[in-house]
Amino acid sequence: MNKATVVIGGGIAGITSALELANSGFRVYLIEREAAIGGQAASFCCKATEVCTKCSVCLIPRKLKEVATHPQISILTNSTVSEVSGKIGDFKVEVLRKPQYITPERCIACGMCAEVCPTEPKAILPPSPEAIPYCYVIDETRCLRLRGEKCNLCQGICPTTAIAFDLKPERQELSVGAIIVATGFEVFNAREVGSLGYGRYPNVLTGLDLERIFNREGYLKLPTNGKEPKNIAFVQCVGSRDESHGYCSQVCCKYAMRFARLIKHQNPDVQVTIFYIDLQTAGKGFAQFYQECQESIRFIRGVPVEILPTPSSKLEVRFENILAGKVERETFDLVTLSVGIAPRKDSWDLARILGINLADYGFFDTKEPFNSVETNVEGILLAGTCQGPKDIPDSIAHGMAAAERAMEVLEKCQ
Amino acid sequence: MIMGGNNKIIAFCCAESAYRAADRAGRLRIHYPDNVRVIRVPCAGRVSVLHILKAFEKGAAGVLVMGCQEGACRHLTGNIRAKERVKYAEDLLKEVGINGQRVKMVNFGPDMAQRFAREIEEMVEKIKEE
Amino acid sequence: MPVKIGIFLCDCGGSLRNIDFPKIRGNLAKLEDIAFVEISHNLCLEEGEKAIASRILREKVNGVVIAACSPELCEDKFIRLLEGLGLNPNLLSLANIREQCSWAHEGDVTEKALELIRMAVNKARLLQAVERGEVPVNKEVLVVGGGFSGMKSALELSQFGIRTTIMERESTLGGKLKELEGFYGLETSPKEMFSSMTRAIEEDKNIEVLTSAEVARVQGEAGDFTVKIRKGGKESSRSFGAIIFATGYRTEILPQDFELKPGVNIISQQKLVEMLQAPERLERRPETIAFVVDFSDENSRLPTLSTLNNALAVKEKLGSEVYVFCKNLKVDSEGAEKLYREARERGVVFLKFEEKPRIHGEDSRVKVEARDVLLGEEVTLLCDLLVAEEKALPPEGTKTLSSMLNLETDTQGFYQDENVHLYPVASGRKGMFFVGACRGNLDLSRALTDISSALVSVYELLSPGGAMVEVEKVKADSQKCRTCLTCIRICPHKAIRLARVDSEKWVAKIYDLACDGCGICTAICPAKAIKFEGYSDEQILAQVEAIGE
Repeated sequence: MNKATVVIGGGIAGITSALELANSGFRVYLIEREAAIGGQAASFCCKATEVCTKCSVCLIPRKLKEVATHPQISILTNSTVSEVSGKIGDFKVEVLRKPQYITPERCIACGMCAEVCPTEPKAILPPSPEAIPYCYVIDETRCLRLRGEKCNLCQGICPTTAIAFDLKPERQELSVGAIIVATGFEVFNAREVGSLGYGRYPNVLTGLDLERIFNREGYLKLPTNGKEPKNIAFVQCVGSRDESHGYCSQVCCKYAMRFARLIKHQNPDVQVTIFYIDLQTAGKGFAQFYQECQESIRFIRGVPVEILPTPSSKLEVRFENILAGKVERETFDLVTLSVGIAPRKDSWDLARILGINLADYGFFDTKEPFNSVETNVEGILLAGTCQGPKDIPDSIAHGMAAAERAMEVLEKCQ
Repeated sequence: MIMGGNNKIIAFCCAESAYRAADRAGRLRIHYPDNVRVIRVPCAGRVSVLHILKAFEKGAAGVLVMGCQEGACRHLTGNIRAKERVKYAEDLLKEVGINGQRVKMVNFGPDMAQRFAREIEEMVEKIKEE
Repeated sequence: MPVKIGIFLCDCGGSLRNIDFPKIRGNLAKLEDIAFVEISHNLCLEEGEKAIASRILREKVNGVVIAACSPELCEDKFIRLLEGLGLNPNLLSLANIREQCSWAHEGDVTEKALELIRMAVNKARLLQAVERGEVPVNKEVLVVGGGFSGMKSALELSQFGIRTTIMERESTLGGKLKELEGFYGLETSPKEMFSSMTRAIEEDKNIEVLTSAEVARVQGEAGDFTVKIRKGGKESSRSFGAIIFATGYRTEILPQDFELKPGVNIISQQKLVEMLQAPERLERRPETIAFVVDFSDENSRLPTLSTLNNALAVKEKLGSEVYVFCKNLKVDSEGAEKLYREARERGVVFLKFEEKPRIHGEDSRVKVEARDVLLGEEVTLLCDLLVAEEKALPPEGTKTLSSMLNLETDTQGFYQDENVHLYPVASGRKGMFFVGACRGNLDLSRALTDISSALVSVYELLSPGGAMVEVEKVKADSQKCRTCLTCIRICPHKAIRLARVDSEKWVAKIYDLACDGCGICTAICPAKAIKFEGYSDEQILAQVEAIGE
């Protein structure tokens, strides 16, 4: 049996699959589109107050560390799958790798290249603190050399000869027994709901924005004037449970409540209101948390239909108050749109390359109902949110399940 | 400054959360006072009262025990044990006339770089007060 | 053998300019037991590793200190390098002079860097080698619970050639499968699933079934669990490498706060299912059926899912009018929103309440009064049948079992503790797993994922190399141990047991495979009898000694 596997996607599900396979003796090629693995969740923040709120973001660093140096795992960043042929037990996967102007295998992140880079803003960027591989990256749009001009400063100073310029994309063919697709999700683009003002009013943010803000700064301040917001609203089901997204994203009610509690923990005077349709409060250990939330957070069953700026630079939310049975208006400093999990728009390309199907709303389809890891192609499995919305623990479980099924179908096909 | 001591702060950091937060601070070039010395431990629960007291005995000015958020310890109860021991050490220190606030238990997530720096700064301030 | 330590300093390509490396080298070289101090520019790259290799092979060192970037990045690499060179990796001590020194402070940090390295040197002086070895593992698995999850687990394990024993306390397998109506979207009915699974199990030589059997006691640890089985009044002992608990759940209908007694018109979901399985036997077709959800348990997925499934079944098989009174529909499961839409399309009416509906009997029917928040009006419904909400609860005997296993449950009484590090299916005890409904996953989709997750963990454990350990890294000194049992009680991984040393003495023994290296036992032992190699008291205090010298 060909004991090598390709895992497409280095987010939490892909990493989990890779580790399970590698720990069971399989050779794994982890293909990652971006310059670093970790996916969406690696840029999320811990949402604990005095106690853990079970957001599970802290599970990611350890897995990243294990993957980074596992002898059985080869990480191919800046890479995509361009062609796939063959069948279970004998797939040929062609991987296209973007030019690695800074070779991750040689970069030691000393930062001297960025120091000497002459452009403003710099064309060489440091990695995100959680990035694996932890190496600097050249921005092709700003780099003088890559735009045809003469410049050799970074290459000259690099102590490990990690930088090279006259490079072309590389193609590599991998011979593997099974393929796991773990390409993750996109957040719903809140700009599509123009009436909610995302992209127009700086104090309208999404849940993803909040993750990044807390991850980087540790606390929330108004984008417009840097002051602390006093009155915050969360709008649930933005991009979920509607016509083109006829599913519940599973994560939004929980993350909104966790953020609400975190914000209140940092500043007890803040008033937080959550506008919801059906509050999703099931899940391990959540019942008690929800009870505590009810004491400090204002829940309004209602659907905000419009967000408008006020003369005093605040935000007026017009919403249907279902309990009161009428349209009401309230003013807030900051509004967070709890955007849902949407399938990646490039799933179509990958589906075509692999010969797998897409389901109703654009997620990858499974072979049969209640078999959430197998696709219509034997030997190609799904892991994580590319198959449907899930939170972090469920994505980890799904990644394990995909690895299990990959191992099982490979054993059988001998 | 304690008589005959130094100005060092010893931070026992658990490998899962606090040590990673400290690394993160460095990667973000978040600067904090340089009189802190981190000792990496597998879990805050490894730190015993003995370690805390010995640290002071050897002249340290402050001790931080840094572990995971309550309820998020990989070893389930390690950070709770650490918290109890820090409290006990605090009481012992008070008995010998040392400000109990020189030892502190801190709970972290691995992404909390600013928090790490802030805790160090706060402890440094506390030491200066005397 | 006298201690001889080799020190490698990495200046990260020459970029750590606020550290004066030659000065540090000068200071360290003066120490007695230092074999050499080498400065490198890139220890993490191939050239650096070659330099380490050639130096170590040339000079006889029994301790290595590397001062470089964070162990998070380079630790694993150096451990493998040392292993390859035949030097025990536990003789390695690291100093983080980059992320936590050079990058963290303004100005010159030579003094701090030197101190960090001296801390590492002090520790290195005391390090001992720890060997690696494989623990023998029993390759048989016990599945406790013969319901859907248990049966599926056993069948999947068998696909991997793993021998399994299913222990079921009822007299037949099947659990809730025998009581469910269906899973919409799945063509196979629970009945068909049940019969095909039991047939497959009967024919499977890898699976042994013990019915009317219960767990009386579990001792031991991963690779070697000794389980006492109680069957038919007799007890027997069996040994297993891993245990999967799939003990399911139970439902309680009409809990106290409903204030009603079950009667002809107020039935449980199960009773409805029985009716739907033989609709022709009904005296009279109920014209109006109402479901009530979120009445007593607002935070469970089960009432929503079973209501949606059964409401659709009613529409199909009985054609009655169906009303669902609910507060917050729990649609955060795979396929749930779709079921909800389908139900609405088929004419199921959903009424959302904020305050609990008032329910009483009227003649031979049931009257439900509630304020529908969507309409904004009081609604009164007279229905022929009211299907009461079920509260999902941990199965009977959970408290006994969890105290037997010495494990915590969550705030609702389901396995396992709420700590996220246990997700998805771990228990805190290596080799022991909880899957499906017994850990609160009441929807089929998540239960199936749980089973696969547990399986891959078991497979890993039972595979060659799956039970590699650092032998006696944490060890209780049998001379010093006072048998106070403290460590045994507080070990969160239940990795410590009593072992006999001679005819009179029992001492604590830490089992390497179950140990997760936290050191809580080491800290708590009143006699300081436990040594944790790499993090012993001496090794930690040696680092403290180096500070402020």
